[in-house]
Amino acid sequence: MTPNRREFLAVAGASVFAGYAGFAGASPPRRAPLGSASVSVIKAKSYSDDLVSRILEGVKQCGLDVRGQRVLLKPNLVEFDPKTCINTDVSVVAAALEAFRSLGAAEVIVGEGPGHRRDTYAIAEMTRYRTEIPKFDALFTDLNRDDVSPIQGFADRGQIYLPNTALRADLIVSLAKMKTHHWAGATLSMKNFFGVVPGSIYGWPKNELHQVGIDESIVELNRIFRRTFAIVDGVIGMEGNGPIQGTPKQVGVLVMGSDLPAVDATCCRIMGIDPSRVDYLRMASERSLGVIEEAHIEQRGETIKSVSAPFELIAKFKELRLA
Amino acid sequence: MKDPTAAVRLRQTQNADGGWGYFPGKQSWLEPTVYAAVALAGDPAADRAWTLLKSWQASDGGWRPSADVQVPSWGTSLCVSLAESRGEFGEPFQKGVAWLLTSAGSEGPLWQRFLFRTKLFGEPDRNLDLKGWPWKPDTASWVEPTAHALVALKHASAKLPSRKLRERVRIGEAQLLDVRCRDGGWNYGSHAALEVDLVAFPETTALALIGLQGHPDLGKSLDLASRMARETTSPLARGWLTIALRLNGADVPQSTAEIASSPETMIAALSIIAEDKVQFFRTGAAATT
Repeated sequence: MTPNRREFLAVAGASVFAGYAGFAGASPPRRAPLGSASVSVIKAKSYSDDLVSRILEGVKQCGLDVRGQRVLLKPNLVEFDPKTCINTDVSVVAAALEAFRSLGAAEVIVGEGPGHRRDTYAIAEMTRYRTEIPKFDALFTDLNRDDVSPIQGFADRGQIYLPNTALRADLIVSLAKMKTHHWAGATLSMKNFFGVVPGSIYGWPKNELHQVGIDESIVELNRIFRRTFAIVDGVIGMEGNGPIQGTPKQVGVLVMGSDLPAVDATCCRIMGIDPSRVDYLRMASERSLGVIEEAHIEQRGETIKSVSAPFELIAKFKELRLA
Repeated sequence: MKDPTAAVRLRQTQNADGGWGYFPGKQSWLEPTVYAAVALAGDPAADRAWTLLKSWQASDGGWRPSADVQVPSWGTSLCVSLAESRGEFGEPFQKGVAWLLTSAGSEGPLWQRFLFRTKLFGEPDRNLDLKGWPWKPDTASWVEPTAHALVALKHASAKLPSRKLRERVRIGEAQLLDVRCRDGGWNYGSHAALEVDLVAFPETTALALIGLQGHPDLGKSLDLASRMARETTSPLARGWLTIALRLNGADVPQSTAEIASSPETMIAALSIIAEDKVQFFRTGAAATT
């Protein structure tokens, strides 16, 4: 098939950042994913709703026990534009902090390593994290500039350095934003792990991940970090040319679960995207990191149909549209 | 901008190994150590920092970003500039310059650049034949490492002049100018993504202006930098913009925004550099003038 001009530009443009790996075909399935997963979909019409009780409800539905654990909340904090909604809303982060504390976690901290802007604390100020989360500076670790340890084996690279704060957490809660993504199709709880890769070594942006391949990097990071839980902020998502230049999309949901591919697959279905056509979700399923087939996901809370809100997709991703 | 307590805090937070962490109490890293050493130039603390940094240089001339991280780093540029500012032109300096001359962004495979050159599929967002510098080897060119490499090589040009160095500086400057955004500033690596214009960031705009200082075609960029300096709430951006405007002979406007506080070592160091040590980044005219 000959690509049209836009498709070629998209692929070629992506490969400038993704390197040759971007053209490698999907690897064959290693083994079929086993078991099933619970995903909770909870309605939250606005950020002024009681988000603490909604998160507690979702956590309970998923059967998560955090008693005595050191919990790292990892929001999606990238850069700030007052005209749109790039980042996980501060209300969701504050509510998660309160919820996990009330569930008996030994410690709940917040960490993020923004991929674009270097002044992490200024971004945290602009997004109101520093003003609306009590004692934010004491709770927060800039994962871009944390102390690091090497982890052997990352895609075709011998090793990757990762922040000690993330490596030592008993549980990482991916507090992602429900957004489209102009290279990956959608950015949700799995893609959010790009933020743990330290800019102090890999730069701003973390171009090494693009060279490895965005999809491969997403899957590899989620292979390394397995003690995870996801809460996707879909109260207001981003459609169109996400993850930075898209437009706000009211959805009114929080989507939660311990199986991140299942959470992201559910988000995709809510967004009107076929998760089996999103490369990193298909790869995650093939590598048994989680399930994405609807039949294997036990949906709790709201049904997908009742909260469905098809997102606008850029031209190159029209083929991702759920039939 | 100047923080009267910054120098005291820097002296108090120097690690036992002679370096500084990005945050007090954290392990030493190259970047905050270089900036703190510049801010405290002439102080024994700066000498201890340079002794540590020299121990982080690999045999190929590249510097690693911290004691335990075995990845060659863009921070080599900072160490070359630091050596030059200290008048130390021995082996670490020379090998660092040589490393920078062999370092270049990896902008996609040859066949892809050829296809772009044919323009059969339209114009690429940037000229892939122009190579700046990457954050680490085998990745693409980005504004910040390119700007620092230009400063380092221009500093080096007096001691180690060569045609190769001049040509590398010329191409690096052309690369920065090629990725300038429509608004006159710089995003972090390109002026557009998927044919959609990107907006400039204050930090990268400032750094590009430092790398290009003296270039004749910076008027619009300096106007934008001046506005950014007035409006930014980021102390990092304010610091870099102050340095950039001063180096380019422009006035630094009063801030109209409330600058956020920051626990970062680098920001304390930059607050001193922006007021008293901008000459560290001064290179004179651009290669293309």
